[in-house]
This record gives sequence, structure tokens and C-alpha cells, in this order.
Amino acid sequence: MPAQQVVYVERGALLQEAIEAAGIPLALPCGGQGRCGRCIVVVQEGQVRRRSVARLTPQEVEQGYALACQTLVEGDLVVYVPPQEERIVRLEVGLAAEKEAPEVVVCEHEQAPWVAKCHLKVDPPSLADNTTDFERLQRELVRQHGITGLVASLPIMRKLAGALRAEDWEVTAVVEKGTWASSQGPPRLVDIRPGDTTEHTLGLAIDIGTTTNVVYLVDLQSKALLGRASAYNGQISCGEDVISRIIYSQRPGGLEHLQQLVLNTLNGLIDELLAAHGASPEDVYFATVAGNPTMIHLFLGLDPRHIRLEPHIPTVNHPPPVRAGELGLRIHPEATVDCLPGVGAYVGADITAGVLRSRMSEEEPITLFIDVGTNGELVLGNKDWLISCACSAGPAFEGSGVVSGMRATVGAIQEVWINPQTFEPTYETIGNAPPKGICGSGMISLLGEMFITGVIDKSGHVNRSLDTPRVREGPGGGEYVVAWAAETEDKKRDIVLTEVDIQNLLRAKAAIYAGMNVLATSVGLELEDIERILIGGAFGKYIDIEKAIEIGLLPDMPWDRFAYLGNTSVQGAYLCLLCPEHRAMVREIASKMTYLELSADNSFMNAFTSALFLPHTDLEQFPSVREKLRNVERLGGS
Amino acid sequence: MAASVPSVQEKWTGKVREVTLGALPADGGTRGRTVTVGGENTLPFLHFEGEVPHRPAIAIEIWDHPPEDWSPILLEAWGDVLQDVGAWAKKAEEVGADLIALTLDSAHPEKGNTSGEQARATVRKVLEATTLPLIVYGPGQVDKDNEVLVAVAEEAAGERVALGNCEEGNYRTIVAAALAHGHLVIGKTPIDVNLAKQLNILISDMRLDLDRILMDPTTGALGYGLEYTYSVMERLKLAALMGDSMTQQPMIVTTGFEAWRAKEARVNEGVPAEWGDWTKRSLLWETITTMALLEAGANIVVMRHPEAVKKIRQVIDKLMTKA
Amino acid sequence: MGLSGLAIYKLLPKTNCKECGFPTCLAFAMKLAARQVELSACPYVSDEAKAVLDAASAPPIRLVKVGPEERKVEVGNETVLFRHEKTFYHPPGFFYRLKDDEPADAFAARLEAVANYGVERVGIELKADGIALQSAAGSADAFGERAAQVVSAGLPLVLIADDPQVMEAGLKAAQGMAPLIYAANAENWETMASLAAQYGAPLAVFGEGLETLAELTEKIKGKGVEDMVLDPGTRGWSDSLAAFTQLRRLAIKKNYRPLGYPIIAFPGEGTEDELEEALLAGQYVAKYAGFIVMDHFDPASLYPLLTLRQNIYTDPQKPIQVSPGLYEIGKPTPESPLLVTTNFSLTYFSVAGEVEGSGIPAWLLVADSEGMSVLTAWAAGKFDAERIAKAVKSMGVAEKVAHRKIIIPGYVSSISGELEDELPDWEILVGPREAINIPSFLKQFAA
Ligand code: SF4
Repeated sequence: MPAQQVVYVERGALLQEAIEAAGIPLALPCGGQGRCGRCIVVVQEGQVRRRSVARLTPQEVEQGYALACQTLVEGDLVVYVPPQEERIVRLEVGLAAEKEAPEVVVCEHEQAPWVAKCHLKVDPPSLADNTTDFERLQRELVRQHGITGLVASLPIMRKLAGALRAEDWEVTAVVEKGTWASSQGPPRLVDIRPGDTTEHTLGLAIDIGTTTNVVYLVDLQSKALLGRASAYNGQISCGEDVISRIIYSQRPGGLEHLQQLVLNTLNGLIDELLAAHGASPEDVYFATVAGNPTMIHLFLGLDPRHIRLEPHIPTVNHPPPVRAGELGLRIHPEATVDCLPGVGAYVGADITAGVLRSRMSEEEPITLFIDVGTNGELVLGNKDWLISCACSAGPAFEGSGVVSGMRATVGAIQEVWINPQTFEPTYETIGNAPPKGICGSGMISLLGEMFITGVIDKSGHVNRSLDTPRVREGPGGGEYVVAWAAETEDKKRDIVLTEVDIQNLLRAKAAIYAGMNVLATSVGLELEDIERILIGGAFGKYIDIEKAIEIGLLPDMPWDRFAYLGNTSVQGAYLCLLCPEHRAMVREIASKMTYLELSADNSFMNAFTSALFLPHTDLEQFPSVREKLRNVERLGGS
Repeated sequence: MAASVPSVQEKWTGKVREVTLGALPADGGTRGRTVTVGGENTLPFLHFEGEVPHRPAIAIEIWDHPPEDWSPILLEAWGDVLQDVGAWAKKAEEVGADLIALTLDSAHPEKGNTSGEQARATVRKVLEATTLPLIVYGPGQVDKDNEVLVAVAEEAAGERVALGNCEEGNYRTIVAAALAHGHLVIGKTPIDVNLAKQLNILISDMRLDLDRILMDPTTGALGYGLEYTYSVMERLKLAALMGDSMTQQPMIVTTGFEAWRAKEARVNEGVPAEWGDWTKRSLLWETITTMALLEAGANIVVMRHPEAVKKIRQVIDKLMTKA
Repeated sequence: MGLSGLAIYKLLPKTNCKECGFPTCLAFAMKLAARQVELSACPYVSDEAKAVLDAASAPPIRLVKVGPEERKVEVGNETVLFRHEKTFYHPPGFFYRLKDDEPADAFAARLEAVANYGVERVGIELKADGIALQSAAGSADAFGERAAQVVSAGLPLVLIADDPQVMEAGLKAAQGMAPLIYAANAENWETMASLAAQYGAPLAVFGEGLETLAELTEKIKGKGVEDMVLDPGTRGWSDSLAAFTQLRRLAIKKNYRPLGYPIIAFPGEGTEDELEEALLAGQYVAKYAGFIVMDHFDPASLYPLLTLRQNIYTDPQKPIQVSPGLYEIGKPTPESPLLVTTNFSLTYFSVAGEVEGSGIPAWLLVADSEGMSVLTAWAAGKFDAERIAKAVKSMGVAEKVAHRKIIIPGYVSSISGELEDELPDWEILVGPREAINIPSFLKQFAA
């Protein structure tokens, strides 16, 4: 409970001054400009005048909420100052601008996954009943589980005699009823185990991102998500983007090396998950995989070179199911590894899976789906039509290719405010740990603040004439120091954002915004015609919509038109893992999606150049940002 | 039966900003006249649907030292005045210039590396030799541009000289000099609508009034990218008329410089007979380039050959005549 | 312009059967909207949809063809007011005026000069297009004779005569050559229209003012003549600009059919001065003429005009490119640094601009990346070791540069190994990623 304090201030003073006089700590991250909403208090009694109610809903104003930095004392007051943590929590739950992404979506279809474990008690053979082991098993599967026509591979056949007899003719048969390529069966015996082992029937949903790989461990019986793990794709050492990887794959042994690297990353994640759940690789019987076409090619060991070269032809858009054993994925060797279908050279299974997850292809509203990854892919459409494009955004928003960038894990700076008078930053890290670097959300936030407070000009050049040690000349041009080395986790290096980083980020955001524009124009729509925007990508817990608009990454629309869905690629793979019907839907999505080649004419270049500015060359497209700039100017920022 | 033809008059909501070069004694300068460009609220010379209050102005380009690499046709046309920047300015005024565009070429590190002091003296001399308003270009090298243009800005304080060129990576110093001493700036961007607009925004973010900014979209000569410049200018003009404030700066193009760089104007040896008479071809190279860009929306054309200037002057006269 | 891709898609079967050769109906619809395919490629379009789509795709300006197939001049079919909106499709024809009373020698000589004029520019052969034969003598025989002479030279013809009898003599001589008849007017339109119909020749229509002109074209159309060309009677700079602009806007923006035809212009009738005639012809090239009748033939003016026409009628949707080559920035010596970049114009300009701004003279080698920026070209394999090596070898770099060091953009540092293999005599240096860092790089390099 904060203590009761009584202070006297003059009429017309700011609440913030009164609170300061009372000795209660109240941080003003944005410099007292009513921008960040961190100084929220409750006026319980008395008269105040609110200069600004930014970030407050009308109901909240009604209830007495006020921003201490924007509210003037008009008479005697009783004010409640909530503790810091409470204020932050309120912001996180209360603001439409910051949306948390769910980890999974629930599948509402009543279908069972392809793979099931069948617990069987088999009658032992006798001289009177001398049917073979395999036929005996087949017979029991028909009788007890209605499964007919079972087939088995030689390695499993070899285990059969032993398994049946080990626990007195009680076994668990792992049966795959089909795959997308053979949906009518025949059912295949994936494994046979002595006794009843039904509690561990596991599957994996895998997203192979160019930068980040994610694995979901799923219980196929209960459909529960048991755990998630992610790591940087081990191939990064061979190039940051798909093109570099393709080039690398052309070296002698390059393709094999890249395949091994991604397998190592995935196997590491799988081991980690299995260990955490006391399960073994042999318990994992099915895996669905999403990823862009290059990643899928490399994962399967297919030569990706023609993806890069005109006319950009992948070896296959919808690879056939393969066995984990042939591939070297460390799960049950007989398990099916099912790569979801792609559309073309630059729109792959990560996007079809994302569209599946987003549900846009089942619904009426015109929806834009954005997957912000190393390659920014966009899909526009609804239940009748879908059109997609890819724009190489670069890995900046995934924390790669930026001096102080990192993934959205503990210690990543995810939100920044800059005081416009002193240019001092206030930041928040994931897990409130000492900072290690800046993640994608943090970069969006930081870039937005640097722009709004005039640390950089609209073309992203650092204003070197500012009077602050935070702005300085670095090895590669101007830079801004977000955290001094002493504040950081390893105390070694200042955390900075350099001009080259900024150009990288600008290019990334411009590519995505330009892609949106061109995609909409290509079918004769305006951006305003888009009824909702669904965002997927590796931003971590949330993306700050407000800041993303501020830098011109997202169009200036009411916040309620946006939703952040998190990693949609792995979620789509998860749906396909659990439900054959979803697996059929993703195929349908791939076949009806139209691909638009952006480099075909000038319109993309033009849209790109015009988006290569903060927030955009045409400020009219960003009225809320224009308003904000005016306010900062009025309040005496630089 | 009288056909009723529908009206195709556009109702443009925007217009090009008026920009005045030069200042009279009453306004703190010493010029005999000022030149105002811009102000049109329709596409070039479409008098049937709007106002074109000011005719496009012709600037003649002069150098602060005799240009070595100019075409012999130009050297012959100007003769002795090339030796003396004051005489050259005077002659340019006589042959029909509205503006004098002085290039401080000798300040280039490779071409003499002359100082800011020298630039002051040159500008003083030109101001005394002519009553026309000035455009002054640096040598096109960032550090020297900044050095000599700041000197010129001080020397010619109050004269509303157009200082060029500001570019995206180097605009702050020149804009600051223009702000401090009452001048104009020319923002030059490489044949791109967005970049042109962005530079206008960056310059005006430094609080230089918009009526003191000219934009140079970068000129491509006939046969050497003319069409790119032509279309970028048409797009900028259309955007201006549609009310996009940051594209409403008058446009300046350096058609003389670019046309005389073309092989067709520069040389006559070993060229096909089908190219025709050298002098006539060169004159047409400069005038067609200029004419095309005038029709695309140029407000100031910077030219080189006195005959070409004369022709373009006649053309502008006719284009300014209401039908 | 016609319907948007989405609007067309709604009229298609939406089955994504792929028989049209496109992966989806939407992809096909977008190609239709861009006029890059024919509707007939889809076997399943309903009649109803066909009717709607055909109507929407009819060209607002009629395509008119003059001359024999081998040298035909086709104009019209334009869809935009400004070339950046799409492109200008059919460049205007330059026709040189000859009078039928000229002495035979002079006539033959001028005819030959026009017929034989041809010059190459950036790989394209530029030619004069045809002859505008004017009846000066008022004699049908003379006109017919001279027309036959032009026909035997194989050139397209504009026949200029007021007297229908004279005109007919010309038409007879030029049977099957689709000459343009100039001109039907308020007095003679009926006979001219029947001549046009009889000889299958396009008909120019003269009328002062757009109303008069529209009235005439409607009446002539009533006689079954479809191929017309307009002359609104203006001759000078600003009146022509106004009239031609209005004609183009009426066709494109209002889809006004009575004036949906190409325009003929006579710059020589707008001025006495030869140079000014050429300039005025230049205005007509840029602003909407389909046929330009010139009075003075001179290579010194024709060449720049053909160049202008080529510029204006270049497809602007292609990225702006600079021609590949070895560029001098400042006055480089054989010792000056050598940088390589792509031929996308903005890339070139920013690199050249920074090098120039650095004050250090340098050689800039521009490789052919098909107009793509460094990163895009690299991604598509159009700025790789092979292409750079080819540029080094084919542009005479080794003759102009004494040293053997080449600076490549930082973004393609990964190709330096391969480039070393391709250019074993060269040292490959990796420059900065961003152009803004070039000056400091060059200063260090030079130091
Ligand atoms: S042929 Fe017709 S129905 Fe089939 S995909 Fe093409 S447009 Fe659609």
C-alpha cells in the first residue's frame, strides 16, 4: 500500500509536480508529453483539467483516470498513484495498440490426427491358430479398431515378433491412417511396442524460418501443446537471407552442409523439448513442416538454385511425405515428415500455413495478412480470392543484421521512450533483465521515438547537432546509444542503433509497406478498402501497432483493425498436424493463391522509394503521425 | 445538329508556389528587376483551364573561369567574354537572359581549388556587371560547395540569390546559409518524384520558407534520358496541382549543360551524315531538350547558346499567348 | 481505362482450372486488365461476361493504319494522357510535304532523300515515315502521276487535295496502299466520305472547333467510314496544345466516341522559321499528334525529332537505366580508384554523386544488371562475378586503368571469391554497403 501523503501546490500546477513534491517516484519516460501513458493516476475527488487524454478511453476518464503530466490541478484533490508495476500491467492489458499473440488456435474440426496409437490384446498363436504374426496383428486391428489393410515396412516387420511376445501379446501399434498424398490409406504401421504405451503419442509442428526455427511438441491424443522451443537457424553462419543461402548451396558440399546445419538446429530443439517432457525420439510419430521454399528445399536437400534465377522455378511446391529416417530428423525413423505446400519461388508453406491459421480464406472481410520475416510476405484477399507477394525485407526485424539486434528473448529491449528535451531513453526489456540487445519490437519502438523526438530526420540521418552524449559519430556514421555498457548484461558494449542499422530498418519497413500498396493496387483496391490486417512474424509477445504506424511500417488505420497472431507459420503447421481437414484446406489455399511478381515493373520501386522516409513521403497517408509531430513541436521538442 | 462536346476542364485544387529571385534596392538588394516564377494552377500553358501568371524564366549559364571542355560551337558563339565573368554576365543579359546562373567551377579541387574569398570577389563582380537576379552553383564537390556557397551567401546578403545544389546528403549547411542571409536554395534529386519531395520536406523541416525553395529533378538531355526527366516533371506537376504541398516548388532544369554534353552537340568528327549540319543539330539538341521540358512543367531553364536562348524566348512568347 | 483485375475476376468462372495458361483466374484477370492477354484464352467465359469485357476493352482512340504493310504507319489506340501512367503505344509518323507542281527532278530528289533516310540509334533504325503529296496544280493527272511515283518508292502517303476529282486520281494511283485522304470538310464531306469508303482509305476530317469536328465525324461515320483522323484547324503553339489536349482528354477520360481518333498536325503552317517548325513538331510528338506533316526536310532536324519520338515513346514501366560502361567521375588518371556498380539509375546516381562529392576523381564501372539495384540484381543473379568480370573485360577497363584493384559494393562482399577466380589479375576490394560511406572510404583508400 503506498503511503498517504498530503502536499500543497498552486492552482494550475501539473499533477506530476504535486506527486513529485510528495516524494512519490513517478517515471516520465516520454518526457512528460502525454505520449507514453506511463504516468497514469486516478483522481478520486476534486477538479482537474486534462490537457490531453491520449491513451485513455472515455470510460477511463469518466472513472477519474488521468495522465499526471497532462493534468492541471484546479482545486483540492485526492489522487491515487498506483505503483509502477500496476501501471505497466494496466497498459499491457488496456491498450489496443499492444496486442499479445496467442500461441495456438484451437481446431474446431472433430477429426482425429493421421496417427493414432492402438492398444491391442492379441490372442497368442497356437497349433490350432497358426496365423502369422503380421496377419494376426492385422486381424486384431480390424476387430478392435476397425483398421483394415495395414501395411508395414521391413524395419518394423523385423521388430514384430519380438514386440508381440515381450509383454505377453499386449502391444501398442502406432498406425498412420494416411497422409495428404494417400488420404484413403492404406494404413501404415509406424511402430509396434510391447505393452500399453499410449500416453506418449507425440507429433511436431515445425517452422523453418530463414532466421528463426521453431518447434512445437504436441500430444496427438489430447491435441495439447506440450512445449515450444526456438533458436536461430544454424544456417545463418552461411548467409543471412535466402539468396546468400542459395549461393552457398552451390559450393561443393554446400547443399549437404546447409541441410546438416538446419537438421542440427532442429534436432537440438527436439532434444530439448523431449528431455523436458521425459519423452524419447521414438515417441514422435509425425511432423508437419512449414517454411519458405528455399528453406524447404535445403531441409530436403533439394537444389534451390532455380528459385533464384529467372524464371524462378522451384523443384517442387508440394513435396511428397518423407520418412524422418531418410532425412535425419531425430524422431522415430518411420515417422512421416510432411512439408506443407507452397505457391511459388518466394511464397511458400510458411505463408499458406499462415493464411490457414489466419482464417482469412474462410471469411468475407477483405483481409491483409503480413508475415514479417526475413522475407516479408503479404497476402490479400478473402474467401473468394487470394493474392500474394514477397518483398525482401531483410532480417532486421528479427534482430539480425543490426549491430545490437537480437531475438525476442530475455534481456531484449522491447520498448523505448525518449525524452524529447534531454534525449535520454527509458527502456523496458523482456523479463525485466539487464539489456543484451534490441529485438524487433524494440527496434520499431526505438526508431519511432528517435523520429518523433528529432534524433533523426525523416530520411533517417542522425542529427549530429543535438546536445547529448547519446548521439555520436561511430565507426559507420552517426549512432544513438540506447544503453551504456555499464547497464548491460555483460557490461562490455554500449547498445546502439547506427545510421546503417536505420537504413536497414527503413528498407525493411519500406519494402513491406510498398508491397501492401502494390498488392492492393494490383487488384484495384485502396489501402483503406482493407477491412483488417493480420500480422504474423517473430516479434515475440507483441507488436506495438502505434509505433509501427509511426514509422510507416503499417498503414494508419484504427488500431482495432489490426491483430497480431504471432508465429502463424508454426501455428498453421500445428493445425495441419492435428487435423486432416486443415491439411486439405492448406492445399486448397495454395492452389487458389495468385502470386504477384513485384519486380515486374516500376510500380514497386516507386512505392518503395516513397516509403523510404519517415513515416512516408506522403505524410497525408499518416494523419495520426502528422498530428503527433505537431504536438511534439508545440510542446517544444527539437 | 450541333454536337455537344463534354467539357474536359480540370478543376485543380493546388497550384505551383510563387518564388521570387532577386531583390530590389527597396527590399534590401541591388537588382534592377526581380523574376518571379511559378503560380500556375494548370498544366503548362493550358490557358483554357487556368492561370499561368508568370512565364518560365531563362537563365544563362556562365562560369567563373573560361570553360576548357565546352563545345567549339559555344566557345565561338560567346567569344572573348568567356575570359571575364563580368563581361560574360553583361553579354548574357544582352542576349536575352532573365537570370544569370553563375557556376563557381574554379573552386573544384581538381580545377583550381579557388577559395571562398575568390568566390566572394566573383559574385561581387557579377552583381556589379548585371542587374539581373542570380543563381549561384558550387563546383559540385560537397566540401567546396559548402565553403564557397556560404561565402557567397554572406557576400550577397539580401539579394535573394538561388544557391545550388542542396542534395539529400548535404543540405544543412547551404540551407542554414540561405536562412541567415535571405537567399533561396535549389534542391537537386536524381530523377525521382519521391526523392524530390523528400528533399523539399527535409529542407522545409529546417524552417526555410517554401517560397524560397526551387527543385531540380535532374535533367536528361534529348537521347540521354530526356524521357525520364520529362515524366518525373509531369508527375511532380500533376501532384502539385492535385494539392500535394510538398511538390509545389517551381522546377529548374539545366538543359544547356546536359544538351551540350551529348555527343550529338559536342562533336562532328566521325558522325553519320544522317545527323546533318552540326550547328543546326546542336542548336536543336539544346532547344528541343528545353522545349520538351518546358512543356513538362519547367519554370526555369538554364541554357548555354545565345541563339538557342533566342529561339526558346520566341517559343515561350507564343506559348504564353492565349488561344 | 477498363476494369480492374478484381472486377474482371468477378466475371470469370473462378474455377482456377489453369487452361488459360495461368495458375488462377485472378492471375488471368490481372493480365487481362493490363491488356497482356486475350479474353479468348479462357474457354469458359460466359457470353454475358464476354459482352461486358469486350465493351470495356474497346480502345478509346481508334487505331488507324496508313501505307503498305511493310512500311505502315499505325497510330491511335492510346490509353493514357501521360506516358508515366502506362505508356504511349504508337509513335506519330513524320510525313514530308511535296507539291505536285514541283519540277520532276526536284520532286524525285526530295522523294528519294525522304525514302532513303535511315539512321541507327541505340540499336533501332530510325526512318522518315512518308510523303504528304499536295495538289498545287489542281490537276488530277499531275496528282495521280506524282502519287504513283511515291507509291513506287514504297512510301506511305497522305493525299492533300480539296477537289474530290483530284483526290480520286491520287487514290486510284495508290490503290491498296491505304493512303490518308486529307481532308473532308463541311463542304465536301459527302463525296470525300464516299471516296474513302470506295477506296478503303482512312479519311482526315477538318473542322474548326471541336463541335464542328464532332458533328462532321458523326455524319461521316453514318456513311460507313470508320477510320478517321482529326484536324481541329489549329496551327500555332498554344492553340494546338489546347486543342490536342482537349481531344486526348475527351477520348481517354470521357470515352467520347465522335472524337476518338488520331490527330494530324502541320507544324510548317504555324511558323515561317525552319528551326521553329522542328520545335513545334517536337511539341506535337510529346502532345498527342498521330501524323506530323513537315515542310522542310533536313537530317539536322529530323534526327533530333526522331530521337525525341523514341524517347517519348519508350516504355516508362521499365526501370530507369543508365547505359553500362566505364564512367569518368571528375578527371580520373590511370591511378585513380575503380569502383563497380549496377546500371539502375538511382544506384548509379547515388554512387556517382557520392564519388563526385568526395572530390576524389575515380572510374565508375557500370555493369549491365538489367536496371536492377545492387541488392535486387544480386538476388536475381544479375550482378554476380560473371557479369562483373564481363564488364571489366568488355569495357576496356584495363587500357584506361593502370592498377589492378576493383572496389565492389559492400552488399555483394560474398562474391569476392568468385570474382577473384574470374579476374585472376585483379585484387578485389570490398567497399562500403551504403553509398553515403563512399567518400570516407575513398579518402582512406587514397591516403
Ligand atoms: S481458363 Fe478460365 S476458368 Fe480456367 S483458370 Fe483460366 S480464367 Fe479461370
